[in-house]
Amino acid sequence: MGGVSDAIGANFVTARLDKLVNWARKSSLWPVTFGLACCAIEMISTTMPRYDLARFGMEAFRASPRQADLMIVSGRVSQKMAPVLRQIYDQMTEPKWVISMGACASSGGVFNNYALVQGVDQIVPVDIYVPGCPPRPEMLIDGIMLLHETISKGDYDASRVAG
Amino acid sequence: MSAATGVIKDLEERGHGAFVENVDDDRMVINMGPVHPATHGVLRLLLELDGETVISCEPIIGYLHTGMEKECEDQNWRSAVTIVTRMDYLAPFFNEQAYSLAVESLLGVEVPPRGKYIRTLMAELNRLSSHFVWFGTQALDMGAMSGMFYGFREREVVLDFFEMVTGLRMNHNYIIPGGVWEDLPAEWEPVCRRIAEIVPNRIDEYEELLSRNPIYLERTRGVGVLSSSDAGALGATGPMARAAGVDWDLRRDVAYDAYGDLDFDVPLRTDGDVYARYEVRMAEMRESIRLIRQLIDGMPSGDYKNMDTKLTPPPRSELNRSMEAVIHHFKLVTQGYTVPAGEVYRAVESPRGELGVYAVSDGGTSPYRLRVRDPSFVNLQCLPVMTLGGLVADLIAAIASIDPVMGGVDR
Amino acid sequence: MTGWIESDRWAERARELRDEGWMLMDLCGLDRSGLGRSVVNAGGAGTAGAGFRNAEGTGGLYGPRFEVVVQLLHALKKERMTLHVNAAGDPPTVPSVVEVWPTANFLEREAFDMFGIQFEGHPHLTRILMPDDWEGHPLRKDYGVGKVPVEFISQPLMQIDSPGQSPETVAAERSVDELGQSGPPLRTVEEG
Repeated sequence: MGGVSDAIGANFVTARLDKLVNWARKSSLWPVTFGLACCAIEMISTTMPRYDLARFGMEAFRASPRQADLMIVSGRVSQKMAPVLRQIYDQMTEPKWVISMGACASSGGVFNNYALVQGVDQIVPVDIYVPGCPPRPEMLIDGIMLLHETISKGDYDASRVAG
Repeated sequence: MSAATGVIKDLEERGHGAFVENVDDDRMVINMGPVHPATHGVLRLLLELDGETVISCEPIIGYLHTGMEKECEDQNWRSAVTIVTRMDYLAPFFNEQAYSLAVESLLGVEVPPRGKYIRTLMAELNRLSSHFVWFGTQALDMGAMSGMFYGFREREVVLDFFEMVTGLRMNHNYIIPGGVWEDLPAEWEPVCRRIAEIVPNRIDEYEELLSRNPIYLERTRGVGVLSSSDAGALGATGPMARAAGVDWDLRRDVAYDAYGDLDFDVPLRTDGDVYARYEVRMAEMRESIRLIRQLIDGMPSGDYKNMDTKLTPPPRSELNRSMEAVIHHFKLVTQGYTVPAGEVYRAVESPRGELGVYAVSDGGTSPYRLRVRDPSFVNLQCLPVMTLGGLVADLIAAIASIDPVMGGVDR
Repeated sequence: MTGWIESDRWAERARELRDEGWMLMDLCGLDRSGLGRSVVNAGGAGTAGAGFRNAEGTGGLYGPRFEVVVQLLHALKKERMTLHVNAAGDPPTVPSVVEVWPTANFLEREAFDMFGIQFEGHPHLTRILMPDDWEGHPLRKDYGVGKVPVEFISQPLMQIDSPGQSPETVAAERSVDELGQSGPPLRTVEEG
């Protein structure tokens, strides 16, 4: 609070733009409904009464990638699913983040074979890896909290190059 | 290749990725999925519509193909349980149970009574937890979002018990060839009794929510009808078939594990529509509670797994004293046990129908071929029959009533 | 019960079985190239108790590499039957039974996808689980599991025990074995 607030009183709050934008972004992340396998059930459990993801402004899972800014890749990604996943990622609007939920999405998990992509980071850039098979809802919430922290510290206008 | 597939393929090849295309003046091809909130995972449907009416419906699957059958050929007989449990992820105990029954048949080993009872108890609890998810998704797809919250609320109660016994909420790796991996913990009984006490009241709540709800009745009665002859021809099993009047339940008619000792009814309806399937599943949940009560009361004492040291590693305490125990332990951990050559098909009644495992052994330490007949995979073929000529909204109701789990469909 | 049947008799036999009341429960491929003759025809000592295997009547039949294994169920008699249909030829071919049991549709497509077994008369025989442009048939025995080596890349941040060195030099010193696993730097005898 500097000279500006002295002049106009307590009716205004001043903040740095990046802090404000980041605060807004992290407080209402909208995940895309991208349930793949076992982890999807735990992802749904996370939004359900006991774990209640709505506490963090995240209960609105959007079916349309255009309305979402977070992709929680929950489950194993097959070779057949990989192009679809990438297309959905491309359809999401910037800024966007990706959480790789579970061992299969992060590294292929127990399945090291012809059918699975060994880690979703080969297709889309991943911000947070959540370990577990499947991760407990608490674990996913912890990953989301970490992502919130990353977003609030991040550079708000940096364009993210997808690779 | 059907006409509809051709249109979509053509569009994809031209790089449009378009999802809707007018085939001629009236008809329209719509690509529903693989990412769609009402397709229960990564099911993709290719629909040809005339206005709101479904003219053709073609399920396209494989988006979750994990190569598990091949992966199992690379594991030993014990560690393949880790793979099969992840197939139908809403009913992991049934996968393990079917697989274990098959391997036990090949080995010719017996499971002690306590092991059988524990397996059956876990399976019936799992049937509850799976039907809770079905209830939630069915209600959600019909627009009753609170149903989802109800279903998952009760599921957590059951999952707490699973976690207490197996250490995991899902993918338990608990039922193994020869019995179960660990005995029930000391304080299992009150927890289990509490579940059997809570759940019937909660099922009453569900019934209150939906059973006489006019909107729900309107959307499910006479919708997605599957006749008993179609159910037989299409190989439908489980609640799908029983709602159509096919009186077949492996628990009663083949009686594996402890089911032979138990008294229960098989719910049956004849309408074959979405509402009949709803009624069958609701009644099944109540029967499961009945079974769970009997299993708690009749739980025998004794060994929970076959203690043959060729199959089960010796207890930790013996490793310090017996050289033989160390050798057995070393052999089992590094190599695994061998299974006599032969083939077998064993099936269990999973929440979705007949879950069969066809195992072939060449006498080695890993399965030569492991085939899983998943009920979701077969039942999904009924979808076109159930939906042709109906509305798109009825299609959603029909998918939810099949209760497909894509992990099981694609494996 | 277990039986073997030649593919040219299969369509006809399937109709008979259907009329007798048998339901098709499962149909899958089997690649026998890794199984010896003795194994295929062995009674399987452990399986006798299961009631699904009966080696009688199989004679010394040893067919071609691929088989279609069919599980049938007779709900009234409460019986099960396993039938092995020999899939001879290249590509292995058997007649489709979709006309007889509509449930064979997906099952035959899966057997085609996984083993490359052609089902003559199938209305829509395309890949079902793998992408359309996939090459090879994954469950054949000559198709590898498709493992990729797991790489454990040394993490500079993990090396808290070497404060004086920059992470790059430490990483360079670490040896990497053929599996990509890095170990501590190899010490020479003089140092030891």
